[in-house]
Amino acid sequence: MSDVKQPLDGVKVADFSWFGAGPICANTMAEFGATVVRVESESHLDGLRAVGPFPPDKNTYNVSGYFNNFNAGKLDLTLNLNTELGMKMAHRLIAWADVFLTNHTPRIIEKWGLTYDCVRELNPDIIAVYQPMQGFDGPHKYFMGFGAVLGPITGYSHLSGFPHRPPMGLGTNYPDYVINPGHTLVAILAALRYRKRTGKGQLIELAQIESAVAPLAPALMDYAVNGRVQDRTGNRLPHAAPHGAFRAKDSEWNGQPEDRWIALGVFDDQQWRGLVEAMGAPAWASDPKFANLAGRKQHEDELETKIGEWTREHTAEELMALLQSKGVPAGVVQNARDLLERDEHMKARGYYVYLDHPEAGRTAYDGPPFRLSKTPGFLRGPAPLLGQHNDVVCKEILGMNDEEIAEAIVEQALY
Amino acid sequence: MPDAALDDIRILDLSGEIGVYATKLLADLGADVIRIEPPGGDPMRMIGPFVHDDASPDRSLYYFNLNTNKRSITLDITKPEGREAFERLVKTADVVIETFEPGYMDSLGLGYGRLSTIKPDLVVTSVTGFGQDGPHAHYKWSDIVGVAMGGMMTLAGDKDDPPNRPYGNQGYVCAGIQAAGGTLMAIVHRDNTGEGQHVDVSMQEALSINQETAMQTYDLTKTIRTRTGARGALPIDIPGIGVYECTDGQVFAYLGTPGGAPWTVMLEWMTREGKADDLNDEPYVSLIQSLNLSFLTGLVREPEKLPERLKQLAHLYDVFKRFCASMSKWTLYEEGQKQRLMFGIVSTPEDLVKNPQLNHRKWFQQVEHDHLGETIMYAGPPYRLSATPWAIRRRPPLPGEHTYDVLGEVGYSIEQVDTLKAKGVA
Repeated sequence: MSDVKQPLDGVKVADFSWFGAGPICANTMAEFGATVVRVESESHLDGLRAVGPFPPDKNTYNVSGYFNNFNAGKLDLTLNLNTELGMKMAHRLIAWADVFLTNHTPRIIEKWGLTYDCVRELNPDIIAVYQPMQGFDGPHKYFMGFGAVLGPITGYSHLSGFPHRPPMGLGTNYPDYVINPGHTLVAILAALRYRKRTGKGQLIELAQIESAVAPLAPALMDYAVNGRVQDRTGNRLPHAAPHGAFRAKDSEWNGQPEDRWIALGVFDDQQWRGLVEAMGAPAWASDPKFANLAGRKQHEDELETKIGEWTREHTAEELMALLQSKGVPAGVVQNARDLLERDEHMKARGYYVYLDHPEAGRTAYDGPPFRLSKTPGFLRGPAPLLGQHNDVVCKEILGMNDEEIAEAIVEQALY
Repeated sequence: MPDAALDDIRILDLSGEIGVYATKLLADLGADVIRIEPPGGDPMRMIGPFVHDDASPDRSLYYFNLNTNKRSITLDITKPEGREAFERLVKTADVVIETFEPGYMDSLGLGYGRLSTIKPDLVVTSVTGFGQDGPHAHYKWSDIVGVAMGGMMTLAGDKDDPPNRPYGNQGYVCAGIQAAGGTLMAIVHRDNTGEGQHVDVSMQEALSINQETAMQTYDLTKTIRTRTGARGALPIDIPGIGVYECTDGQVFAYLGTPGGAPWTVMLEWMTREGKADDLNDEPYVSLIQSLNLSFLTGLVREPEKLPERLKQLAHLYDVFKRFCASMSKWTLYEEGQKQRLMFGIVSTPEDLVKNPQLNHRKWFQQVEHDHLGETIMYAGPPYRLSATPWAIRRRPPLPGEHTYDVLGEVGYSIEQVDTLKAKGVA
């Protein structure tokens, strides 16, 4: 596959980002051909290197599954930006790049002098991409944040989950993984096209709260237009019933019972008839009060109880196959074990990719998020070790000789 | 000099809910997106909320949000004359985005293979629940099926409840974002080489990376991450971490994280407010001075001190909880953040609309709807491009509003369009 010309062959990315929102975006660019130089240092380590999961009995900076999954196939350069020489080298890297990417805070960007005005002086046509939490102006410009706080601030926590529970959020730093890196990728690709057409670079500012709130627009419009403050409604939807996750027969994992769930949604009467058929047409389901959506919504508590009694008798996998055969959208609430080992469909499509890493061993990575028939995208290698490519980047990209590299090491610029 | 990044791109948009966020993203960056609705209208127009709760097809706020900057034609592509019109449009298009069951477009004679003979450099993007091939390719999907099968739901919620579906069709949103990215990637390749291609987006795959560390955790340690409720992975209530009730809602706190102020700053604030209780006495002062994340992980290493430490922590938690309960969420958020204490407001939609930062940055957009005689507030840009800004240049279309214009652009006379309409094709 490596001899196919990829869409981003020749595109050079200076990746000064860390954690999720920046690195994942550059990761996709690398999968489609871009050369990505990831800049970090011992003095300013990507926090994910220190957070697990780690393989058993290993916990160096190079083996975190969290970090490695977002950085496959990048070149890693350890530059200490608190040294004069380190910053000089950073400037040379920026001058080389087509895209400069960072999700550091405005405070750090200002301290480092890497604002767009400065970056543009080093490289007038560069596409300079910033992902501040709140933006580069305004009263909350310097507010701190990371994924865990972003979910509450942007409305996901208030709106998701059951009304009798506190707003506990989605169990992850959700906007970090698709919403913010995915939006950023769209903006960068649009800017790359514009640059190809006009020769001009530009500034892209993705304020993480703005990017994360944007998909929740209907709830905001409902407030602005109708004065309604939407609240948590669990798994229900106004225009479907039943709609939710129902408990299936327990299974066993590591000698312990494991709860299993089937998610399903009935959006029209045809799907309802499919569900009834799947259940074996029990007498209760022929009650006219369940015959249409309005009735099913009105009697939703009872409906959910009855369906739950049925699902509890069958495995989630049986339920999925049966419901799907009757035309009802349904799927197992899968966990990571299901996705990696048991989902025959994911296996057949080969979504997860296993790569050999010099320290972590053979481990799984997410594959490209979309498939292009002629330029399919692929992981060019495992995640880099900290500073793995210092030598090659210094020589081939920054044009340094052995003596200059030695000096950079002595001065702790390469660090 | 163009002022929109994609103003030379034309997209034929056949997408349902699963792909429509992609075409919105591209339209808002300037692409000419032509939405092709079946005669009788797009079912998405009947999904609420509605303007003044009036459930009619020209009033869906859900539809409005997802169809800014697009034009609309009505065309029945299952009929031969509809297909002919569609093919004429394809000759002028750069991209077709569709979300039918795999194989359906082929069955109409409009699959990628056929369309690429009409327009060799065409990009066709297909967005579906499970992708174009594999044993589940023909499975029915909805948003909840995606977030279930993709591994997100199992991580959300309380152990005593069913797994939680994220609000707001996040399966569709993420599939849409990846589809927009994939489409642009294919366009970049076309620009470079003149070669079109077929982009395959599976919602299940599009969502996988949202599992955060669950996939790697299982891969590396054979343990399964699951939903852990309000306390998250923490075994006990930790003062300053988690969701706290306020006078008017909730805040989320994460005190003691690197880069933020230490707990002593929190204590000073509580003291200034006269709400520190006995926390300025021992053993609490010492406890607070050493309270950070490494302290907490170190707790388990001194098991003999653990019971007493837990009691002290529980008291600190109670006093902190009472402090939060006596304050407004905005005060805790804004005053806390000014002191570099990591508070985040648990925003309601109202809080977001009133958010001082979003308003200072003029994020919200006002869009005139001439047909309603009203101006409606829209969400703003996910990103700001300095040379080619995101913009709402055109309100969402009425059903078939641009049928005459668009078909006229590919050579149909008004009379011919009238005939198509009379036959129920347009």
